[in-house]
Amino acid sequence: MTRKILLICSCALLFCLKGFSQSLPVTGRVVSALDKQPIAGVTVSVKGTSNGAMTKTDGTFSLNVPAGKSTLTISFIGYITKNVEVTGGQTNIQVQLAEDVQQLNDVVVVGYTSKKQNELTSAVTVVSSNKLKDVTANDIGTMLQGKVAGLQVVNSSGAPGAIAEIRLRGVSSVNANQSPLFVVDGIIGGNYDPNDVESITVLKDAGATALYGSQANAGVIIVTTKTAKQGETRFEAKISTGFRTADFGKMKMMNSNEMYDYQKERYRDYIVGAPDNTYKIDLAAFYREYPLSLRDQDYNWSKESFKSAPIYNFYLSASGKTEKNDYYVGASYYKEKGTFINTNFERVNLRGNSTYHFSKKLDVTNNINLSASQGKSYDYMDMYYSFLNMPWDNPYDANGQPRYVDSSTPGWQSRDPINPLHTIQNSDHSYKGFNINYDLGINYRITNWLTFASTNRVSASFDKSMNYVSPLTAGTYHGTGYIDELNTLNYGVISNQLFKFDFKMGDHAINGFVGGAFESSKIEYSGGSGKGLPEGLKVLNVVSNTQQVNGYNNKYILQSLLSQVNYSYKGRYFVSGSYRYDGSANFSPNNKYGGFPSISAAWLASNEEFLADNSIINNLKIRGAYGFTGTQDIGASRYLGLFSLTTQYNSLVGAVPYQLENPNLTWESKRQINAGIDIGLFKRVNLTVDVYRNDTKDLLLQVSQPLSVGFETKWDNAGTVINKGIEVGINSTNIKTKDFEWSTDFTINFNNNKLSGIPSDIVKTGSWGISQIYRNGGNLFEFYMPKWLGVDAQTGAPVWEKLIYNTEGKAVGSEKTSNYAEATTQEMGSALPKYQGGFNNSFRYKNFNLRVSTYFNYGNKVFSNNLRFTLNDLGDPKFNQIQLPDGPKVWTGPGDTQATQPSPQNNTNSTETSSRYLKDGSYFTIRNIAFSYTLPTAWANKIAMKGVSVGVTADNVATFSNFLGQDPQTTITPNGFSTPGVSDFKYPNNRQYLLTVNFNF
Amino acid sequence: MKKKIFTIITLVLVAASSCKNLNVNPSDAISTGTIVTTTDGLTNALNGAYALFKDHIEFNGLVDGNNMYLRQFYHLSDFASDDIVCGQATTDPLFYSFNLGHSPAQGNTRYYWYVSYKIITGVNTVISAVEKSGKTDAATNQLLGECYFLRAFCHFNLVRLFAKPYSVDPNASGIILRTNLTDPAKKARSTVKEVYDSVIADSEKAAGLMTWRGPQYASQAAAWSLLARVNLYKEDNAKAIEWSTKVIGSGKFTLATNETFPALFANATTASETIFCVAFTAVDDYGKFGSIASMIYSDGNSGWGEEFASSSLRAAMAPHPEDVRWLYIIPLKDGNGVVQKKNGIEVYYISKFSFQGGLPNLSSPIMFRIAELYLIRAEAEAKMGNTGAALDDVDMIRKNRNLEGSLYNKVVPAGKSALDVVLEEKRIEMAFEGHRTYDVFRNKRTLNKAYWGYHLAGVKETDIDLSKTPAGYPNITVPYTNPRTIYYLPIDEILSNPLATQNP
Repeated sequence: MTRKILLICSCALLFCLKGFSQSLPVTGRVVSALDKQPIAGVTVSVKGTSNGAMTKTDGTFSLNVPAGKSTLTISFIGYITKNVEVTGGQTNIQVQLAEDVQQLNDVVVVGYTSKKQNELTSAVTVVSSNKLKDVTANDIGTMLQGKVAGLQVVNSSGAPGAIAEIRLRGVSSVNANQSPLFVVDGIIGGNYDPNDVESITVLKDAGATALYGSQANAGVIIVTTKTAKQGETRFEAKISTGFRTADFGKMKMMNSNEMYDYQKERYRDYIVGAPDNTYKIDLAAFYREYPLSLRDQDYNWSKESFKSAPIYNFYLSASGKTEKNDYYVGASYYKEKGTFINTNFERVNLRGNSTYHFSKKLDVTNNINLSASQGKSYDYMDMYYSFLNMPWDNPYDANGQPRYVDSSTPGWQSRDPINPLHTIQNSDHSYKGFNINYDLGINYRITNWLTFASTNRVSASFDKSMNYVSPLTAGTYHGTGYIDELNTLNYGVISNQLFKFDFKMGDHAINGFVGGAFESSKIEYSGGSGKGLPEGLKVLNVVSNTQQVNGYNNKYILQSLLSQVNYSYKGRYFVSGSYRYDGSANFSPNNKYGGFPSISAAWLASNEEFLADNSIINNLKIRGAYGFTGTQDIGASRYLGLFSLTTQYNSLVGAVPYQLENPNLTWESKRQINAGIDIGLFKRVNLTVDVYRNDTKDLLLQVSQPLSVGFETKWDNAGTVINKGIEVGINSTNIKTKDFEWSTDFTINFNNNKLSGIPSDIVKTGSWGISQIYRNGGNLFEFYMPKWLGVDAQTGAPVWEKLIYNTEGKAVGSEKTSNYAEATTQEMGSALPKYQGGFNNSFRYKNFNLRVSTYFNYGNKVFSNNLRFTLNDLGDPKFNQIQLPDGPKVWTGPGDTQATQPSPQNNTNSTETSSRYLKDGSYFTIRNIAFSYTLPTAWANKIAMKGVSVGVTADNVATFSNFLGQDPQTTITPNGFSTPGVSDFKYPNNRQYLLTVNFNF
Repeated sequence: MKKKIFTIITLVLVAASSCKNLNVNPSDAISTGTIVTTTDGLTNALNGAYALFKDHIEFNGLVDGNNMYLRQFYHLSDFASDDIVCGQATTDPLFYSFNLGHSPAQGNTRYYWYVSYKIITGVNTVISAVEKSGKTDAATNQLLGECYFLRAFCHFNLVRLFAKPYSVDPNASGIILRTNLTDPAKKARSTVKEVYDSVIADSEKAAGLMTWRGPQYASQAAAWSLLARVNLYKEDNAKAIEWSTKVIGSGKFTLATNETFPALFANATTASETIFCVAFTAVDDYGKFGSIASMIYSDGNSGWGEEFASSSLRAAMAPHPEDVRWLYIIPLKDGNGVVQKKNGIEVYYISKFSFQGGLPNLSSPIMFRIAELYLIRAEAEAKMGNTGAALDDVDMIRKNRNLEGSLYNKVVPAGKSALDVVLEEKRIEMAFEGHRTYDVFRNKRTLNKAYWGYHLAGVKETDIDLSKTPAGYPNITVPYTNPRTIYYLPIDEILSNPLATQNP
């Protein structure tokens, strides 16, 4: 059949050519208006015919045109299409294509389909690969920071292979997943390498996201991988290499001398309540316990544990088009050593994208992505001791090797007899995994208005992690050793079947689709552990005691019907409606199904006659969208009352109450209203402003229970959170001359969230007794704790605020208390920022490019939990302490009103949770500076290259913040052990310096 | 070709759009509905309740080695006593038991409260299911009895830690009683008396239902023992004598002898004294980060070894170096036989929670053993004025502790009361087993902590002069009227349950 189609096509083509037997050849060359470099792969066609050609690598083209005058249409993605009048037989036609700054006619991949930019009716931001690639990372989230209005990106960990947390337009769910839905090449989920990414589309309002229904509450990020753009095979190679150093922020620990002086505070002659205190430091006693010689022992534990570490990234790709086949093949290798010793990550990724055109009607797409990764993680306790061990203790023995330390080691000054360097040397926390994605796409044009589109993915991954501690280590596994292994098998299938239609009648155009979708996946875990290993071997087979096994699995099923209709009139008025119906296995039989409609509209005013050819306004569009999305992503069976069977007593299986029943548990639904305006001025400045209001109803919340019911929480739908905000994106070409160009991108997003409809206040208390309150009129993640008022000038005791309430329960005054239990627990600000955004500038002078990206975040609170250890008023005098920026002003005696730190002699409860450790999390960071040089083409050609560029980049150059602790970027995900906005000893973020060379050939 | 493609497409479509079963069941949990309708399920739920005494279960999203019912059961009581001295200041909340810097936010009371009520909820689920089923066979009765026992045991341990002693104020705020599943989540505290009434009712019911299936499980004797203990605390001395006599008289349990006592705690599940212990097996050896022993014993690597037998307790034992009970106090000596110091405090490790299977961190902690019953009876007899009977029971213990030569023989030493003698003996016999603070405060006595240790606010190594008695420090003595003889209710309960009032 295909052969037939081919034959028909060929005949038709032949026929066409014959029809123009009177034709004459024309030749010419297409160059970029900007740098006068030839552009290859440009489509040159004769207007009104199907006759066309493509430019070669040197930009030249030739094709036949009818005798006499005709018009050539010259078009290329990213450039403004140009029409040129030619006469048959003309040669050496010079065409300059201008870059399309507005990219109005770019095709944007949205939801299950794609649209032209000017047809969009909803808030959508596109980030092209050239704006992403200034940052080299293994994670696309890190690359997006500061580049999309409304997108908050938090790099809370600098561990090798760590990925950023992303929030779109604030946080609208609490215990359900808050991360935007990733869609790779039109299919939900999926694996890819950042080097293979062509563009990122961020869908922000319900007009676009409602199509993803119950998975789209947190927005949708669409990743499109590269495909061939031009005929001949093109190669691209990129080599990046550099190094990283740990950024401790203000977490600078005391050195030997500072610690020595600080310890003297313990020797103040002060016993609380005693009549004969002198309040003098008893130096004689001090020197007895701390001889002066201690000061000669100065070891920087964090410096010994964190070293600068190399990073490499190699990328090679080939792409091209033939009549039948479009193909792209990309290979990437990424390797980073962690700054914390004995940590690393490496990953290799292979991608093949191909679309085979069986006929004019039938395209089949086969995309495959293979990746494998491995790395070494770390043990939290090792990092903990790297900060807390005393500067007087030498980590090394006489041979320069990390020394073995236990409780019999003489002279050890640190709190615990642990040398983390020795433990690290004798342990292994490695992981490895591979991942395969195969996408099959079928596009069959049934008639000229109806297409059947099927996209399907099969994915599977296997991951294995291991923790091994040698019998040689000090501590709990000394002499026995320990090993555990965990294997994770994850597999699933996604299938979407759509019928797409497209009609045009005069000024009216209507298109859309209907279809169904199915998702199913399963994760299976299994593992084992044991002790009693012989020295040197580290497999489960050699454990001799305390063997344990574990294994369980989770399953996920979602099935859906979906539809969309778009209508436009005269290319000025656009209306779009969509509806999705989801069935989820996560809810009880009565609540399994939910519907998610949306409607959106736009008026492209600049296409009206009164604005046509306006010299100031070249684009003006007003948009509005209204719709619903939902969330069900809370894991299976949350509505059931459950007993967990994972324990044993006296070697018999035990069942433990695990979850409270809630048969009424249902979808969280988010009503989204968005209004936006897009303005293009002078063909240079693009301004996009969006205002939105998103009401998330029936919040899926793990509602805190009184602990006396035997459960911490119960899954429930409680309350509403309203996110209101405005986001502004400006991109402007400030200066543009032949040799010099300066452009600026600026994004900012103000977001405000308010809770309402909560039956009664919900207080969630996490580790360390750090609480957050959910109350009507309050914010999400609002810290709830006693207010720190400093030090009692008379006693040196810590002081908190105690509010005095009248009989109606209103606070009418306050007093100070040094009794922590008496202090009033109160709202102390939210972990979520008031605004955040990015300010990025790029400059080009001739072949030199400089790009500076910055990111800012304002108005959130971060609880710096490690201060509990590192600013502990000598409550535990054997932990190293933080260097306070202004020096510690420890209370010296009655009447000391200048003291900021309590007396070590009277510090009861001073390290308990209070606003003492709650800090302003605002920051401004110079995220990235990238400087590059593109070799002149002539030079490149000499080494058989089409283009070569060389660049240096510096990431996380500087962060400006008042935050006391490691950097203020702190997790905002409320799962597991982490309370949002609580910073603990974490893997520090990295400064990164890279040299990158790009080759095109 | 085209047909083939269409066939494939059609197949894919059909496969994709066919309605799949949208029900997913968890792989390692079963629904409460299922568990209560099968005998197997109820047995598993009861095993789970026992397991919670030893497991580290997730709390605040984290499995923390510090969090274990029994670890905190001992820390919260014995670290507040005069038997254990703190050798190192710490930010760990266990420090608050030493220095009385209690806080509603301290992690150990929060977990202890939580897991206690999880045990109670588990057994309440079984009780409600069994009573609905109407079954009364022996196996079901045993199951039901054990559930009642565990509920009583947990409620009683809570009321001891979080409420004033019955003898001090029976009408004081007790704890929140959870005796059925249908009560609202928000509930006020019952009075101490109401809690005791409920504990006694549950225990009596339990005693009537159970027989014996090994010391790893609750039994009729365990319920009688609990009744003896509760009645003693309630100062219903006649009842205390009655119940303890029942246990002693059952003949099932005998005092360990001079020879067997040293191996008692390492072999609790087979020891002649054990009435009820929580069984730990080899897989429950939590090592340094989560065992009971790791704070009070270390072989150099096995534990933190930061808390030791106090000089006060050692002074009380000093007259009798031959006492076999010394064997559970292990001085850390250097090569010259000199006792080592940690931060100025002499290191005397405690080994009552070690050496099951020879492992330094493994034991099956004993909740009730026969020696306590003799001492309960002795105390009750002493309070009823039956000095001779009281001292006979004390001598019964001493005979088996290598003190045959130092018996009281019904004669109270000069300057002491019979109660003094009983309490002194109990202090030594039951040391580190979670009794001392309750015994002091419920008898309206004062705890004297005038010895060197880091319970003294701001003390440092150079202050320590072991030849002198420390003076001038706050909280050096703790009278029973000190509000910090009990703990604050956890912050979670107070913030989520406005009906629960905080302790002063």
